[in-house]
Amino acid sequence: MSATALPQPRGIAWPGRSSYVSLAMLLPGLAFLFAFLVLPSLVLLANGFMTQHQTGEVAPPFTLANFDRLLFSPAYQRTLLLTLKVAFVTSFVTVVLAYPLAMAIAYAKPWFSRLVMVLVVAPLVVSVLVRSYGWQLLLGNSRTGVLNWLLEAVGFGVTPVKIMFTEWAVVVASVHVFLPLMVLPLATSLTRINPAVIEAARMLGAAPWRAFLRVTLPLSIPGLTAGISVVFSLTAASYITPAMLGGTRGAMLGNLLEQQVTTAYDWAMGGAIAFVMVAIALGANIGATWLIEYRQRARLRASGAR
Amino acid sequence: MRGRLSTSGAVLVYGFGALILLFILAPLLVVISLSVSQAPFATFPPRGFTFDWFGRVIADEEFRHAFMVSVVLAVAATAASFALGLPAAYALNRWKVPGAAAMEAILLSPQIFPILITGLALLQFMASRGLRDAEMNLFIGHVLITLPYLVRTITASLKLVDRTLEEAARTLGAPPWRVFWLVTVPQIIPGIAAGCLFSFMISFDDFPISLWLADAQTVPLPIFLHSSMSRVFDPSIAAMSTLMILTGALAVIGLEKLVGLRRAMGI
Repeated sequence: MSATALPQPRGIAWPGRSSYVSLAMLLPGLAFLFAFLVLPSLVLLANGFMTQHQTGEVAPPFTLANFDRLLFSPAYQRTLLLTLKVAFVTSFVTVVLAYPLAMAIAYAKPWFSRLVMVLVVAPLVVSVLVRSYGWQLLLGNSRTGVLNWLLEAVGFGVTPVKIMFTEWAVVVASVHVFLPLMVLPLATSLTRINPAVIEAARMLGAAPWRAFLRVTLPLSIPGLTAGISVVFSLTAASYITPAMLGGTRGAMLGNLLEQQVTTAYDWAMGGAIAFVMVAIALGANIGATWLIEYRQRARLRASGAR
Repeated sequence: MRGRLSTSGAVLVYGFGALILLFILAPLLVVISLSVSQAPFATFPPRGFTFDWFGRVIADEEFRHAFMVSVVLAVAATAASFALGLPAAYALNRWKVPGAAAMEAILLSPQIFPILITGLALLQFMASRGLRDAEMNLFIGHVLITLPYLVRTITASLKLVDRTLEEAARTLGAPPWRVFWLVTVPQIIPGIAAGCLFSFMISFDDFPISLWLADAQTVPLPIFLHSSMSRVFDPSIAAMSTLMILTGALAVIGLEKLVGLRRAMGI
């Protein structure tokens, strides 16, 4: 750096009074979050590193025993792996289903685009509880379940399909619950693609599917990454859907956590489970942010090199 | 921006799109169809047609109480989140604040934090200090989950404001609060209203926060509905669920009328 450019005070545009004013405007919200989210969460997560005593109190000695049990004892490990599996499969299925809908919002005729938009957003404001109840009715194992009733009605109903109270029922309902959160960022990405780019690919002779794979798909990756991280972390953290549809076979970390603190009164184990759940959620989000920024930097470098 | 679909693409998008829309609607339609069934149990297929279950649900004093608890909670949480969120979003967007990115990340963090753990941590924290007032705890918990939505929608609205108008007003000698009130506010009102409506629904529909913080006297609607599901097997559960679906449908219509769904969802 040459000495001609004086170092500019970066960040503060209006030094003096207004930076105090802006701080005063930010402080209440930040203080509220610190007092009721950050601090309580740290206390809860710290429990995971301590010992549950017979007296009911969670206190030192500090230990990693809770994590050891969670990660390596078969029953807990099974729940952890099942949680990751359900979150992974749900994210994958959601991507596949979200693409046509996002493309409809971005490219279809106005009436269809509007219809899709309304039907994608509407479930977002219907309680997960109600939607899980709907899936309970749909997936019921006996003949009174809608799916089995339908299969019987069209002649496939020799043996009822039994997916209720398995992880697959949880996957189906989770896909339904989180689909809007994949469609919306994806549709945002797609509408921001310059149509001329796709037209150029087509005019240069690329088949539609090739234009999609080589142009549309890569340009939609920011929305896709954001959607996957949200769906993955929310699925891994869900409670009500596995509680209503998973039974004991489909129980996930959230259900294990609830059981540890309400029936086993083991707050140390609860803290460890909470720690892992937070780590999954933050890991997915930070990982996605990093990936998007890394791609942007890489693209900037590539265009700078030319 | 339209007409970028090839023929095969259109078949895929319209055909698969329609199928997936059916998947989205199926569980809601099943619930609604059973809410008007005359059968004594909520089993498919529905039989006959009646509004009796709605009558019974609305006549149930516990249901009405739970509904009111949820409405009051959602209004109070939205109002408080608005009071905390508007100044914060404004400061972050109009003035350069040191560490703005970090502060914005903190303000939006409840959105990515597992909600089940937000509620549990708050319960443990309040209980350890002997604060067992369920109404107060529910209120604080619901502010936590609605605040990020309001910060986000207010930020989005502020970014769409025509800054040249604000600057013109300032150059003409208007003090900052007058610029805000006469120039900025009229432009962000629809976006803010949409944000408040969305925040209302987030609180109204919430289960994982209330699961921990409700007590026997203060039971929000989703908690009441969930406990009813394990006791009652007649279509009144479907009727209650349908009332919740209708509330959501009203909210969607409201969002569409206020700013249009696309803008409300940031597309």
